Amino acid sequence: MASNPMQQFSVHKIGPEIKIAGIDLSFTNASLFMVISASTILLFLFLGTKEKKIIPDKVQLVAEMFYSFVAKMINDTAGSKAKPYFPFIFSLFMFVLFCNMIGMLPYSFTVTSHIIVTLILALFIFIAVTIIGFAKHGFKYLSIFVPSGVPAVLLPLITIIEIISYLSRPVSLSVRLFANMMAGHTMLKVFGGFVISLGILGGWLPLGFSVALTGLEILVAFLQAYVFAILTCIYLNDALNLHH
Amino acid sequence: MTIPEEFKTRLKIAKSKIKGQVLSDSEKRGSFMGSAFKLGTELVAAVAVGTIIGFILDTWFDTKPWLIIIFFFLGAAAGLLNVIRTANRMQKED
Repeated sequence: MASNPMQQFSVHKIGPEIKIAGIDLSFTNASLFMVISASTILLFLFLGTKEKKIIPDKVQLVAEMFYSFVAKMINDTAGSKAKPYFPFIFSLFMFVLFCNMIGMLPYSFTVTSHIIVTLILALFIFIAVTIIGFAKHGFKYLSIFVPSGVPAVLLPLITIIEIISYLSRPVSLSVRLFANMMAGHTMLKVFGGFVISLGILGGWLPLGFSVALTGLEILVAFLQAYVFAILTCIYLNDALNLHH
Repeated sequence: MTIPEEFKTRLKIAKSKIKGQVLSDSEKRGSFMGSAFKLGTELVAAVAVGTIIGFILDTWFDTKPWLIIIFFFLGAAAGLLNVIRTANRMQKED
């Protein structure tokens, strides 16, 4: 069923079934592509930092660009207090970016088009940021739910709204990445299907669309990784610097 | 290692070039689409979270369907708050 546009998202097992304490831990194509992404990042950064030349070669230049890009992003949005969290945000950005980009290759699998992957990433960020907030400020961290300058009558209502707004962070963070990736890849597949079904006569128009969409998708893949990382920085900023 | 004077001026010129750089049309459109999508998910996510909280509290206190209704509207308010905040942040960036 190559014509089904959703077929590209199916997860299937590779190799033997592994069950530990009743939980299915088999190696799937999703795990395979996560391993591929992670090892591509490692290889790329290893090659980029192997020879530290003063005049960098191409790989080193790109690796340094990624480094300074993330460093600048953290500094601009979360300030100098967020410097210790650079390794985490850098790995997060690189992982999401490489998962998105490797998903753009034909016959590959896009890990980030599954909500469970993005939700786990977002929940991890959410819980980590909450813990950081409480560790830095103690119970004073709860004051982010109480905005200043609100009349006392409205305070309970506003507090509930603020709590809902806070809890909606991981949902919006994960849904955004997942929906962008899934919608884009489905659209590519649908236009690809049009090319086949319209044949040599009418297939040129959707083919052109497919090419344009591929370009757009590469932009979206980068943009979503960037948005994911920058929102992590913004949440971190809220936790580090109370009452911004 | 001292940086030669000539390199310093070249760096300065390059930096000022980066600052004045304007995004091309397609890049702008892409980022607009991104920000539109960002606002949409912010709104929907808060409504969804509010409704889920209402549903859970309803089953706890056995008050169906009142809390789900109240929390739906609270969620919508939280969503609007999210949208306003995100829009403010975007304005600041520009």
